[in-house]
Amino acid sequence: MPIVPFDTSMIAAISAELLLLLLAGVILAVDMIWGSKQKDHLGWITAGGLLFILLISLIFTRPEPVERLIFGGMLRQDWLTFTFRLIFLFAAAITSLLSINLKGITGRGEYYALLVVTTLGMSLMAASADLIMLYLAIETTSIPLYILAGFMKSDDKSTESGIKYFLFGALTSTVMLYGFSLLYGFSGETNLYLLSERLTGGEISIWVLGGAALLVLVGFSFKVSAVPFHFWSPDVYEGAPTPITAYISTASKAAGFAVLVRVMITVFPEISLYWTSILAVVATATMTVGNMVALAQKNIKRLLAYSSIAHAGYALIGLVAFSELGIASLLFYLAAYVVTNLAAFAIVVFFANTVGSDEIADYAGLSRRSPGLAFAMLIAFLSLAGMPPLAGFVAKFYVFAAAVESGLIWLAFVGVLNAIIGLYYYMTVLKVVYLYRSDDDEVPIAVSRPAAIALGVSVIAVLGIGIASGPWLGWALDTASSLF
Amino acid sequence: MPEDFLPIAVLIILATGLSFTILLLGQIFGPRRPNPRKGSPYESGMRPYGKGQRRVPIHYYLIAVLFILFDVEIIFILPWAVVLRDLGIFGLIEMGLFVAILLIGFVYAWKKGALEWD
Amino acid sequence: MIPLSWYLILAASIFCIGLYGVLARRNAIAILMGIELMLNAVNINLVAFWRYLTPSIINGQVFAIIVFAVAASEVAVGLALIISIYRRKTTVAVEEINLMKW
Repeated sequence: MPIVPFDTSMIAAISAELLLLLLAGVILAVDMIWGSKQKDHLGWITAGGLLFILLISLIFTRPEPVERLIFGGMLRQDWLTFTFRLIFLFAAAITSLLSINLKGITGRGEYYALLVVTTLGMSLMAASADLIMLYLAIETTSIPLYILAGFMKSDDKSTESGIKYFLFGALTSTVMLYGFSLLYGFSGETNLYLLSERLTGGEISIWVLGGAALLVLVGFSFKVSAVPFHFWSPDVYEGAPTPITAYISTASKAAGFAVLVRVMITVFPEISLYWTSILAVVATATMTVGNMVALAQKNIKRLLAYSSIAHAGYALIGLVAFSELGIASLLFYLAAYVVTNLAAFAIVVFFANTVGSDEIADYAGLSRRSPGLAFAMLIAFLSLAGMPPLAGFVAKFYVFAAAVESGLIWLAFVGVLNAIIGLYYYMTVLKVVYLYRSDDDEVPIAVSRPAAIALGVSVIAVLGIGIASGPWLGWALDTASSLF
Repeated sequence: MPEDFLPIAVLIILATGLSFTILLLGQIFGPRRPNPRKGSPYESGMRPYGKGQRRVPIHYYLIAVLFILFDVEIIFILPWAVVLRDLGIFGLIEMGLFVAILLIGFVYAWKKGALEWD
Repeated sequence: MIPLSWYLILAASIFCIGLYGVLARRNAIAILMGIELMLNAVNINLVAFWRYLTPSIINGQVFAIIVFAVAASEVAVGLALIISIYRRKTTVAVEEINLMKW
């Protein structure tokens, strides 16, 4: 993998990142000039700006036919970078729409600017091809997210969620960094692709290399909230402002998978037998713990938190399969999961804005108060549960197919069992929504335009990915083939 | 190799020895006339008031944090300054961008009143 | 010259001391200090590897510098979060920060 010398076409390759930086500056400037009036406009500016950047990167950052390392080997321009960049920008745009009517936020300029900066970090995470850049990108993603999780300074749960996220995140990223320093020490290189060339040939003992791989996996497991580094996620999800919860559970998790896939496949193909076995165990534990504990939840945000842990487990199956189909199914799974979970959290935002509660019991009678919202919830939750013809079903199908293709029939079986458990608790929530009655049956749920747009787009995406899955899978396969 | 540490060991022995010797000499030869003024904590010649440990206004932390953030950037500027001539105009532009981004942050903190002390 | 392994042992010990601090201490600020110690262990590793393996290319040094800068911003954010929780609860002991469980 040669490092291409600098030319101006590389500027186009990172145009999305440059524009994101510019957007963050514009938001801060607008906030400074307009002061406290016109606060809603900031959200629209952010969402509009992100949408614009999404279009720009769709047109101008398409990867070249041959993958290449750019900027002195710091970034890699390939389909993985491109695909994940689009996912992050989409999730960020939806999140900023959901945030417009959010209560309890002071300093909206900073809120949106941090959201944009963390998106910038994620985009670089997916693109990083160098340990230094990777660490920098991970921290550029994490540090704004710590602040955003604790953004509601007058709310006990939010401050608590911020500090828990920070302490867990700082610890795991430091352990991961120690692993990075060892990898650098084994090879004398920081570039992932040069590093893997140096590591092949078996000069480094498998045990030492495996140890470094384990340290690195700690950091990535935190990002994707895989067992046993999942403890932070329910607390953080419950306490953080709901749009931020949506963002952490979708884009941040997807970013974690992006680096997980890139680093494991690029740097450790020699010992793939070992780390796939470890990840198989982790995936099993993650699915099972997530689904089992979700059964007992009373709070919708915590329920979705445990469900998102379980989904990380399903997605890991794709990586464990360690084949092109496996990676493609993982990417497809992430795309489907991101849009579905955004839809689910959009409903939680709606509901909390009107009712001021996140308890599942309070969702009783939702189908009478707001049939449209209840129907959106039906689609989102059935997709999470993996019901055909929605996106979640197709995604699970491909992941399990990839596992079977790689001879991991037991893992596919565990996944199917878990999907059945999952179906139970998603159905429990839908039962409350559709069958139970409440005293407020007559009071409709207030609908705010920006959040309605966000919900509408997400639900359409869930249906679109589910029904017309062919082209999306083709895209995922193209992306996966750029890695091997 | 252990013998590489010999200079350090000698240094440690000398440093501890010297400080103990000076203290000892002061004890032996120095006149001892204690009074309350001498026994009180040193506060630049002023008369101390209040307890030594007290709460610092929370604002102090904000200033301290801003200081850390802007102070640590010198770590990038110093190596750059060393090779400035080799980097040429490209390096100058790069550093200009870097400092400009920092400056935006500084102006923002200023405008938001983070540097007001009242 | 002192062999590389000595530096690595030093870094590993500092890393473990830091990790112990993070896991054993109950004060959020002390936990933060433990994390800083671990980051310094990483820096010793990086600089030692650079000096012994690739003194002609400076990637290890650059890595260490970046870690420095990131650690500073991480501490800034961490302290801000600790202050914000102290204002709500007047404590920085982590076992008392337990509004949410299971």
